[in-house]
Amino acid sequence: MNGKDLASLLATATCALLGTSSPARAEGEKPWSLDTALLLYKESDSRVQDVSAAIGATRRFADDRVLGLNLTADTLTGASPSGAIALDRPQTFTSPSGKATYTTVGGRIPLDDTFKDTRFAGSASWTQPMGRLYTVSGGLSASYEYDYRHFGANASLSRDFDRRNRTVSLSAAWSKDDIDPVGGPPLPLSQMLDVGATGNKAGSKSKDVLDAVLSVAQVVGHDTVVRFNYAYSRSSGYLNDPYKILSVVDPVTGDTSTRTPAATGGPDGVYVFESRPDSRTKQSFYGEVKHDFDGRVLTASYRYMSDDWGIGSHTVDARFRWPLGGGYVEPHARWYTQTAADFYRVSLVRGQALPQYASADFRLGEFDAVTLGLKYGHPLASGNEWSVRLEGYQQTGSVPSGQLIGNQARRDVTPDLTAVFLQFGYRFGL
Amino acid sequence: MTASSTSLRRTDDHWVGGFTAMACPCEVLVDDCTEAEAAAIVQLASQEAWRVERKFSRYRHDSVVHEINASDGRGIDVDEETARLLDFGAQLTRASEGAFDLTSGVLRKAWTFDGGNAVPAPETVTALLAHVGWHRVRWERPRLTLEPGMQIDFGGIGKEYAVDRALQLVAQSHPGVGVVVNFGGDLAIGGHRRADRAWRVGIESASAAGRAARTVALDAGALATSGDSRRFVVKDGTRYSHILDARTGWPVKDAPRSVTVHAGTCTEAGTWSTLASLKGAQARQLLEGSGKTFWLQ
Amino acid sequence: MKKLIPVSALLLLMGGCAHLGVEPWQRDVLARPDMALDANPLDAAIDDHIYFSKEASSGGRGFGGGGCGCN
Repeated sequence: MNGKDLASLLATATCALLGTSSPARAEGEKPWSLDTALLLYKESDSRVQDVSAAIGATRRFADDRVLGLNLTADTLTGASPSGAIALDRPQTFTSPSGKATYTTVGGRIPLDDTFKDTRFAGSASWTQPMGRLYTVSGGLSASYEYDYRHFGANASLSRDFDRRNRTVSLSAAWSKDDIDPVGGPPLPLSQMLDVGATGNKAGSKSKDVLDAVLSVAQVVGHDTVVRFNYAYSRSSGYLNDPYKILSVVDPVTGDTSTRTPAATGGPDGVYVFESRPDSRTKQSFYGEVKHDFDGRVLTASYRYMSDDWGIGSHTVDARFRWPLGGGYVEPHARWYTQTAADFYRVSLVRGQALPQYASADFRLGEFDAVTLGLKYGHPLASGNEWSVRLEGYQQTGSVPSGQLIGNQARRDVTPDLTAVFLQFGYRFGL
Repeated sequence: MTASSTSLRRTDDHWVGGFTAMACPCEVLVDDCTEAEAAAIVQLASQEAWRVERKFSRYRHDSVVHEINASDGRGIDVDEETARLLDFGAQLTRASEGAFDLTSGVLRKAWTFDGGNAVPAPETVTALLAHVGWHRVRWERPRLTLEPGMQIDFGGIGKEYAVDRALQLVAQSHPGVGVVVNFGGDLAIGGHRRADRAWRVGIESASAAGRAARTVALDAGALATSGDSRRFVVKDGTRYSHILDARTGWPVKDAPRSVTVHAGTCTEAGTWSTLASLKGAQARQLLEGSGKTFWLQ
Repeated sequence: MKKLIPVSALLLLMGGCAHLGVEPWQRDVLARPDMALDANPLDAAIDDHIYFSKEASSGGRGFGGGGCGCN
């Protein structure tokens, strides 16, 4: 019996049984699902500003096979603390290209030369079931900016247990990044030289990263789901930030040692490029719970991270979504704290032997950070949704007073960070 | 919740009535209305579910099916509703070329699908097959005559029929109210939801811990699912699904794990999901030719 | 480096959970999109990227940051 005859036979049979047969179409799913976002990010004190746009597309095929595509573009402008300490007077540095100098004002933590950088990143993934209970997926990622290129691949296997109440998955990712800083990567702990002198610059560098995550997600009751992850990450290669420096200071005053720059221009102080180990192993443990309170959803998570650079961190994050009007509001709070890397230094002391590794990068220092945010989302009748999210981030560093020398004690040594970001989102189907 | 009581609770924008019938958890979702109206609707649906269950149950001594199965070769005059179900079963037998058969119930004696490895001896199955086959039945409306040893079982179509019947009754006495009647995963939608919203229905195959279920937005129609879930037997590495081919007495080879079909009524959706399961490896082909939306695993 | 909870403990946690969980027909709440563990992947990716470039930790939920010159 062919399809049409069969359909006709069954429709008639049903009609005879029930006395009625109403036509209907499953509004079903649109195969493409697109998620777009526009982000505006700004830090206080003329530091970094970023505008970025992202689009994520998911295409569902029959049998739960899924293609995922992601594209992001961002333009960063602004400056970040270079790692040099603040002094009461202006300071002059050679810019990373080695072709010019820049001067910072006195009384403020020096920011590096203002930069402009556009970055593009993309990724693709394919997911499909393998048998009834397994899901396998694989993906590729790449990013490009003028001084940094990334290429990576990842794969994941997961299995469902106990009526699909538990999913265990194992994922691994590998990436190879190429770093080609403006002016070339400086030799670690070498001095910042005058304009035109490139003796301490080397050729381009690379970094390999291997990540593995073991994840267990478990349904706990009809309104709660939890997840636990263990992650292991190992990076090796060039892990320095080629633009970050340390000030070499006088052992008594704590002020930067001075030097006479060349006629063509150069630094008026002694600065040294940072040096980090060429490998880093991180482990983290993450737990998350999602609970429904009669239509309102609480998501809370905790992460502990520890690595072989001596950094340990705790992150507590909570968001609470509740329906309001035709949409929802979702306040968000996050608290983060980290300890400093073993080789974190506020400055190096003239006359003392150079340590093997040293960095004054505030991101490797000890600090607490708090985020407070609010998101509003509005689903539309068509199933699409627009949303807006505003968040504020405040990072407050601390340095054990024993590490401060002389005049450093009366100045700001940690470049506390205040940032705000606004994100517009729109999600739709095709 | 006892076997013949109902529960009613409210979620943010609809009522959920619950009860047990036909050995599965049943739900009736009612779009925003008064509690009294929601309770009345749930009552109607549950009463109809229990009525159908009592009337066509294999186990109850006061059921029509029991009377037929105890007839021992004598003809039984059946009522209009039973007659329509028998006609429907006959059409399904024709559509499936004999793979589906209302008289295949006796094969239950050979197969217990409990995940174990008990596969019956071929002789047992052959012996039982002597009592299977719609061609052995004399059906002259309203008189049904089975050969001795034969049995009628409406298990394959009863639930979907009950869903459609319950929905019909609700639609007649509460016209227009947005309702979903869901008996253990076989469901049908009636009326209209307020504010143009659709009901979100999950398809089990993709539903796993923490992953949003594959959900479909439906505002009309019905879904029926055929699947092996935990009812199967594994022997020597081969998995035998619980869906038996009435012509051979053995499970269908390569039956899909789970088929969900969307159609205008639950009964029609059920016919497609059953036929697809019986087609084994050709399930997808059959469903693609049906023009219906389906989810196959 | 301090040792974290060994992987074996995680596996034990898995094994003891057979009594938790729900039947497939009890997933009405869990099926809602806002109850999915990765309900807003774009938001999460944006957050992860911001925190990766300002802090020393990364990831947790999945693969962390990487792929940029910002840390």
